[in-house]
Amino acid sequence: MTNSMSNVKMVSEIIENSYKVLKKEVISQYQVSFEVNKDDVHSILTLLKTSGWIQLSYLSAIDWPEENEFELVYIVFNWDKAVHIQIRTRLNRENPVMNSILPIFPGCKYYERETHEFFGIKFPGNPGHEKQLILEEWDDIPPLRKDFDPRAYSDRKFVKREYSNDFVNLNGEKSKQIAREERKEKIIKVRKGGRK
Amino acid sequence: MKEMKLFLGPQHPGMHGNASVHMYVDGDIIKRAFLLPGMLHRGFEKGMERHSWINNISLIPRVCVVEPDINEMAFAMGAETLAGITVPERAHYIRMIILELARLSIHLMSYGGLGSPTGLYTLMYHAHTDRNTILNIFEKITGHRVYHQYIIPGGVRKDLPIGIEEDIHAFLDDLENRYEEYRDLGINNPTVLARITDTIPLPAEVVWELGVTGIGMRSAVNKPYDLRKVMPYARYDKIDFEVPVADYSDAKSRVDCKLQEVIQSISIIRQCLKLIPEGDVRVPLGRGQSMRWTIPKGHVYSVVESSRGEFGYFMVSNGGVNPYRVGVRGASYPQGLLGIEKYLPGTRLDDAALWVDTMGVCSPEIDR
Amino acid sequence: MLSTKFTKLSKEEVDRKWWEIGDFFRRNSLWMLMYCTGCCAIELPPAMTSAYDMERLGMGPMATPRQADVLLVTGYLSLKTLRRLIYTYEQMSEPKYVVGIGSCTINGGIYHDSHAVINQLNRYVPVDVYVAGCMPNTEAVMNGFVDLMGLIKTKKANGWKDYHARNEWYMANQKAALGEVKVHDEFHE
Repeated sequence: MTNSMSNVKMVSEIIENSYKVLKKEVISQYQVSFEVNKDDVHSILTLLKTSGWIQLSYLSAIDWPEENEFELVYIVFNWDKAVHIQIRTRLNRENPVMNSILPIFPGCKYYERETHEFFGIKFPGNPGHEKQLILEEWDDIPPLRKDFDPRAYSDRKFVKREYSNDFVNLNGEKSKQIAREERKEKIIKVRKGGRK
Repeated sequence: MKEMKLFLGPQHPGMHGNASVHMYVDGDIIKRAFLLPGMLHRGFEKGMERHSWINNISLIPRVCVVEPDINEMAFAMGAETLAGITVPERAHYIRMIILELARLSIHLMSYGGLGSPTGLYTLMYHAHTDRNTILNIFEKITGHRVYHQYIIPGGVRKDLPIGIEEDIHAFLDDLENRYEEYRDLGINNPTVLARITDTIPLPAEVVWELGVTGIGMRSAVNKPYDLRKVMPYARYDKIDFEVPVADYSDAKSRVDCKLQEVIQSISIIRQCLKLIPEGDVRVPLGRGQSMRWTIPKGHVYSVVESSRGEFGYFMVSNGGVNPYRVGVRGASYPQGLLGIEKYLPGTRLDDAALWVDTMGVCSPEIDR
Repeated sequence: MLSTKFTKLSKEEVDRKWWEIGDFFRRNSLWMLMYCTGCCAIELPPAMTSAYDMERLGMGPMATPRQADVLLVTGYLSLKTLRRLIYTYEQMSEPKYVVGIGSCTINGGIYHDSHAVINQLNRYVPVDVYVAGCMPNTEAVMNGFVDLMGLIKTKKANGWKDYHARNEWYMANQKAALGEVKVHDEFHE
């Protein structure tokens, strides 16, 4: 327990001594995150790999359309000094390109391919990353971008089942939906002080 | 020789789940192999962004079908870390009981699944019947057989029912009594032993290259790299258990590790039932308005040791009612995709199903 | 010499009698195809093994579609699976029956707004029996199979005939959702 907090400190020293860290968060005693420049990512990951963070746990992206940016996240783990390190960096959303980390972590091959499929980020250096992995014959923008609306896509492509209102209400109770709407109206009425 | 293309799955009795392995074979030897994932893709990561933190409780167990509780645990741990919630002590122990019962059930299922590539259906029948007993216990505790929706942010949904300890103890005693029988049926059986010894080995160096975790890694590197030991969550630091390891990872030693973990899980559940304190099982969320519960901004990656390795949820909150992004790291992602591509070539055709079974490739969590 | 008088049956009546005999044997020995399309398949192993013992109903798993009678669609169907499912369905020999397990086959269930999951199975292949629930427990699954046997007995399990009669409609629906039904397996290469 006492060890793990010093592990976080050790990681911070390793990275902060040699690279410019834009933002650092200590999330828990087993996890720390760094936001760094895009150009530093490869050398930081190489440094971490040589210092024992040999497992790439996760690689993915986050879409921030307001800032017109993608955020790439690399999570590495060290089994001897148990700290998960998130290395995050921002890319331009218009032309998202990030060099592959395949030479550093060979396990990233399919993560990058999936990230390309779901966000449209290009990873030069990863052969075949532009082929489809999970989707098949996809005909829209990459689905995990924030401006993609799955409901609209689903309504357009897949027909919904239509239910007819031919049931009989035997005991004359109000349906739950009508009751809920009435309750909502009442709340709004009370909130406005009885005015319409 | 001419290469021939063969598909193992998606409709194939040796394939666990709806995935397909494309293989180029020369006679009986695999020359190249790829996994074709995506046949269980449901768009979970998108769906979770569109539901509130509380609504997501019903969505997350469906990510991994065979072991839903680890999903709930990882999601709950991540949300608690971001929101700064302290979980009541009793809830931690209930969570551990649920998680270990789930581990027992999936180990039994995958041990039984060894029956189908080796052609030994007795094993499958025994294991699935015992797993059904666990599902019945789950039904008593949570109300559901498979998808429990029991571990939620802030604790567990309900307290344990009265008298469930007797059911659990009765099942554990029964399983422990028949443990030797299970070994004799499976890995001490000469026909199975000949089939799984020295089959599809995984060298220690390539473990790091692939990023394989869980039993596949522990049986290769001979070190107790288990997240329950390395970074204990819940109250695993107060429980006394061992992590089975081996120094040579072939199909046999992986199955052996699985069976030893069964014994450890039984002992963990017994200790939990002994140590479990009285008290609350849940803290209320969002001051009573849990549908509008918001979580402070932040990025968190929460991990749980599943039966196949490190299972992680990467969650981003922007302070709203819905999660901003949820990413799922399926535990069998490395061994499923990269493992099949790199380490199946050179083995025999009929060993592909053994890789899928003993490494625990679970297609729903790869596709999501 | 005693002579028994037979009334000459018409060809339709003879056919009907043979179908009745065939249906009797068919419904008491149903082979279901082991194709786990979705998550409800996790309730099938308890149904198959000693806990619920499906074989007392005369049902058993079958590995190849050519010899199977029942196609179980266990849960949600992503587009990628639907392509393979249509292939599988068309490979099965007639008469063939489809059981849709889980809410997802009825109306999309919990994935009704997902970009990858179809909402209504009977627009793409004809479905004879639905088992509702997410997920339906093993008793419900077994009950669905018993229902299917009853439908075969009363000659109401006519989905496969419907697939012939309205083939254009099914084909058009499949095309609308999938674009192209053909599976291109040159995927990694």
